[in-house]
Amino acid sequence: MKKTPERIESLAAEYVLGSLKGLARKRFERWMMESYRVRQEVWFWEQKLGELGELVPPKEPPKRVWNAIERRLWPEQTSATSTSGLGWLWPSLGLLATAAAMFMAVLLVNQPEPERYPLLFGAIVQEDVKDPLWLVSEVGDANRLRLRPVAAEAAQPDRDYELWVVPAEGQPMSLGVIPVGDDVLQIELNESVRAALEKSRTLAISLEPKGGSTTGAPTGPILHVTRLYDL
Amino acid sequence: MVEDSTQDELMALLGGVARQDRKAFQRLYEQVSGRMFGLCQRLAGQHELAEEALQDAFIRIWHHASEYHSDRGSPMSWMMTIARYRTLDLIRARKVRQTAGDDALSTLADERGGPLEASLQRDGSAALTGCLDELSPVQRDSILLSYYRGFTHDELSTALSTPVGTVKSWIRRGLQVLKRCLER
Repeated sequence: MKKTPERIESLAAEYVLGSLKGLARKRFERWMMESYRVRQEVWFWEQKLGELGELVPPKEPPKRVWNAIERRLWPEQTSATSTSGLGWLWPSLGLLATAAAMFMAVLLVNQPEPERYPLLFGAIVQEDVKDPLWLVSEVGDANRLRLRPVAAEAAQPDRDYELWVVPAEGQPMSLGVIPVGDDVLQIELNESVRAALEKSRTLAISLEPKGGSTTGAPTGPILHVTRLYDL
Repeated sequence: MVEDSTQDELMALLGGVARQDRKAFQRLYEQVSGRMFGLCQRLAGQHELAEEALQDAFIRIWHHASEYHSDRGSPMSWMMTIARYRTLDLIRARKVRQTAGDDALSTLADERGGPLEASLQRDGSAALTGCLDELSPVQRDSILLSYYRGFTHDELSTALSTPVGTVKSWIRRGLQVLKRCLER
């Protein structure tokens, strides 16, 4: 493959983003070794996209990470401290260390697992439209579904789109009328709706009279059905 | 963004590390490990892998500090890049997929007012700020999901129920638009 400027540009960006994988990534790394121009392009993206990384809130790593780094870099020093002429003390210290390790293990096991909700994500698509009509995502601990219109177009003037959770069994549950245009809709999910969605992972959109169905069930045609995926 | 004075200090510490000064290395760790760990954890979505990636990244910094030069960006961004690549490598080697740790996502779905937007707006100096707005929502989401979550084309394609080819072209075009904008 020839190193055209366009190719260097797009491959460098994808390399830094991480979406360039496997053999293509290896081949590109060879290009980097061969050419300063290629490396420069990579550095450009590392700096620019790096700004995104710096926006992530810092988080203090546990002390054991530093300890492990020291052990890996200077193993001789970590063990050298143990030969300090106090040999007689060692058996008991060794026992102490074992006790400490066991205590640690108990602590680790007993730490409560942070509560994890599966995160769902999906898109409502239409076969002949290239972009998704809406993007749907779920925010874990807030029990909130966000719906962002992308390529969705307004229904007929006297109609609205209505969003439904389709449970594994039973009637669809309404999440209300959904917008087209630029506004992002956030929907609070109550426990029963949340539980139904978690189980079935299925949403549907129907075409309803202005303001939505008045019967509590879809009255118009179901236009789209989509399944959500775990992220 | 990390301020200039901090960057100067980091530069000095990195110089010390290049001369194999262990004290400088420890100081450097104290200064930047939190930022790096935040990113590792965001990407990996789990503690264990993030800790391992952070360890590996610092071992790499110890051995390669002398290869740093200013063409590679600020010392901070160079070290963040090392941490990010290492985390991606581990995620792919272990085939782990994160299910928790979701602020990144919450911001993605939200055109305005999410935490990411807020910090981007707060930091008016970031070149990316305005440029991300020039992307279409799908281009922007795909790029941010790749950056913050390490999504591959296949994973994006599944998550967005969209053919891989289309996802690839969103990313490619999005990055092109971003580059044109950043160069202005």
